[in-house]
Amino acid sequence: MAKASKSRMTVEGEDEGRFVAALAAGDRAAFAEAYRRYNPPMVRLAAAILRNQASAEEVAQDAWVSILKNIGGFEGRSSLAAWIFTILTNAARSRARRDGRQVSFDDGGEGNGLAAAFDGTGHWKEMPALWEEVTPERMIAGRNLLQHVSAAIDRLPEAQRAVLILRGQQGLEAAEVCAALGISEGNMRVLLHRARHALRRELDRLMG
Amino acid sequence: MGVRFTCKDVAARADALIDGELGLWDRLRIHLHLAICKGCDHFIHQMRQTKAMIRASAALPDEEPAPAALDAILARVAAEPEPEPKPDG
Repeated sequence: MAKASKSRMTVEGEDEGRFVAALAAGDRAAFAEAYRRYNPPMVRLAAAILRNQASAEEVAQDAWVSILKNIGGFEGRSSLAAWIFTILTNAARSRARRDGRQVSFDDGGEGNGLAAAFDGTGHWKEMPALWEEVTPERMIAGRNLLQHVSAAIDRLPEAQRAVLILRGQQGLEAAEVCAALGISEGNMRVLLHRARHALRRELDRLMG
Repeated sequence: MGVRFTCKDVAARADALIDGELGLWDRLRIHLHLAICKGCDHFIHQMRQTKAMIRASAALPDEEPAPAALDAILARVAAEPEPEPKPDG
């Protein structure tokens, strides 16, 4: 893992090791780049955990203070993104505890709507359509597809949203997502599955 | 379950397939099914497109950070020089 992560190119084409060194050296431009890249998903993730936008922004700021103070100890055993999001989720959990709230990533256990799509013999009741021209720029009902997708992600239940941000958007490894959120791999897969199918249904509605 | 997958079997493995986490045998059985089932072929295609759009949505235009926001964090870092124990990187 350490060897693989040394050569990862995750920050806008810049070698992660050099980027981390610049952050550790107090390079303001590197900090601005890291903040531009990671702060929006950090706030979205904290909001999914805390269910409060103002608290989420404060927690992200607290996390940045921890990140900058501890970046010198980052040894590349995980990706930089996984390390950053783990600090963020720890900060969000501390905040939730201070506010007297439990953080739970259990998801209620409702199905994903797929079971009803099949007949008794396991065949599609209605054949899925072939989507044409699924591009981020495509305009539907006054918004592009990417904006529709973002809005649909914002409407997901919090636990699904948290997994989708880390695994689906940020591309963390499955094990990194489980560690950051403190959930089992089985739970993570169920949440990712439900979140993706909710998004697929939304795209299907838009394409129809 | 027999050797041949139903559409429901294929759909249940769609996530693992598009994430490259499926074993060779299941992958083979899915591809045998896709060769004769247009519905599942479309479904797997939809799942790949959905995954790609989710990934693309991470790159929505991020605003340039306000210098004041950066300054506020840097001031706190400077004011609290003691390192805190944090997860290993």
